[in-house]
Amino acid sequence: MNRILAVAEYIFKQSFRNRILNVLIIFAVFAAMFSLAISELAQEAEVKMVMDFGLFAIEIFAFLTLVLSMTIQIFEETELKTLMVIMVKPIKRSEYLIGKYLGVITTVLMNLLVMTAVVMLVVKLKGGDPWDIKMLTSILYSYMGICVLAATAILLSTVSTTVPSWVIYLFFVYALGHLTVHLKNLVKDSAGAALKTIVDFIYYVVPNLELFNLKDKLNSTGGIFEPKYLLLVFGYGILYIVVSLAAACFIFDEKEF
Amino acid sequence: MENVIEVKGATKVYKALDFWNKERTTAIENVDLFVAKGEVFGLLGLNGAGKTTLMKVLLGLLKPTSGEVSILGGSADDIAIRARIGYLPELPYFPKYLKVREVMEYFAGIFGIPGNIRKQKIESILEIVKLSKKSEAGVKELSKGMQGRLGLAQAILNDPDLLFLDEPMSGLDPLGYKETRDIILDLKKRGKTIFFNSHILSEVEKVCDRVAVMHASHIKSVETLAEALKKHGSLEKYFVGIVEGNS
Repeated sequence: MNRILAVAEYIFKQSFRNRILNVLIIFAVFAAMFSLAISELAQEAEVKMVMDFGLFAIEIFAFLTLVLSMTIQIFEETELKTLMVIMVKPIKRSEYLIGKYLGVITTVLMNLLVMTAVVMLVVKLKGGDPWDIKMLTSILYSYMGICVLAATAILLSTVSTTVPSWVIYLFFVYALGHLTVHLKNLVKDSAGAALKTIVDFIYYVVPNLELFNLKDKLNSTGGIFEPKYLLLVFGYGILYIVVSLAAACFIFDEKEF
Repeated sequence: MENVIEVKGATKVYKALDFWNKERTTAIENVDLFVAKGEVFGLLGLNGAGKTTLMKVLLGLLKPTSGEVSILGGSADDIAIRARIGYLPELPYFPKYLKVREVMEYFAGIFGIPGNIRKQKIESILEIVKLSKKSEAGVKELSKGMQGRLGLAQAILNDPDLLFLDEPMSGLDPLGYKETRDIILDLKKRGKTIFFNSHILSEVEKVCDRVAVMHASHIKSVETLAEALKKHGSLEKYFVGIVEGNS
């Protein structure tokens, strides 16, 4: 456990002090504050506008933080060969991978907390409730979605040979992750069996990131914010993370450097 | 004398990068080698001879395609064995936003060095590699030579029984050469085994007990330094003679 924490701390420090990520955080804060200006356009629904824009910015910047943080890691590991020094130390490869995962999601968490604080402040300035439970739950699930994506990113990093290929795979998964549920609905009635099988395969293999997207349903009257539903989505997230990391560890264990 | 490195018939063929699986590269072929405990063993060779591949096979970073490899009586896949080895890669790189002390703390954490002695241990190692005054400096402030010293510091942090050095003089200035050489000789005095790759023959001559020449994926010759010097007059003549096929 100590070795996992040592790796996590190292990855976190390394990412969090990186100038590119610092600039990203500043942009993220500006984006959240920009919602103040945007809200002027919606005269009767300013708070809703602020929340919607803030939540959108949080998710996008959390995703970008993940991409940048991991790009830095993978670049150093593959191009600058930092991994070789670590792999000959008394640490299991799975411990390294899990530590890396924890370091990356902690980096995203820090960015997300800063942005959440700004969004809450902006909501308060506009006369809304900064402790709105639906808004905070939505942020929590956005983070959960990023944690799922981070586990997939770790898995992809074990099979990608270059940084650009990894980035392309990840963007592809991110897009598909939000689209599979719609794809499934599209082919439900009309398409042939072969297409249905392909879509089903994608649906079950690619993480269903749309499940974690509660921000678009803040005003829905359905059971989206019911504890039972939230627990189910949380369970799905944990399961997906565990399976992805287990597969990543298995592949990484066989890897040569 | 006990052997800490034993290699029997090791061959490493890299997987093909092309689609048709044709362009396979044999990096080392049928290598037999042993290194005894307490020895300083120098592996010489031209660029691309297979030295780094052999070192990676020994360290478990690459799996041999065939043959047997044993270090410290076991395999580098074993964590307990890895806790007893040190490794300095050629041109080591460390994250530029971390401080020297933080890099060392990271490795100390992986080695499981207890918190109560960690600080003292790190300070003493940084003192040995002449980096103690830079412990609070960021890695990005270090010169190439200083980064090399930091690489050496992490390699000896666990007081290894077996130390692998891949081109340890790379990027160092003449003073750095001397200091690295002194560290190697001090470790040797303490009974440690050192395996290193280099093509700086003058340095090899000053520290090694035995030398091997690797050429075109094969070990062409293994001799004690004294024998090599006696037969050929200088290490350079010995080396050139072998790679040009005159010995």
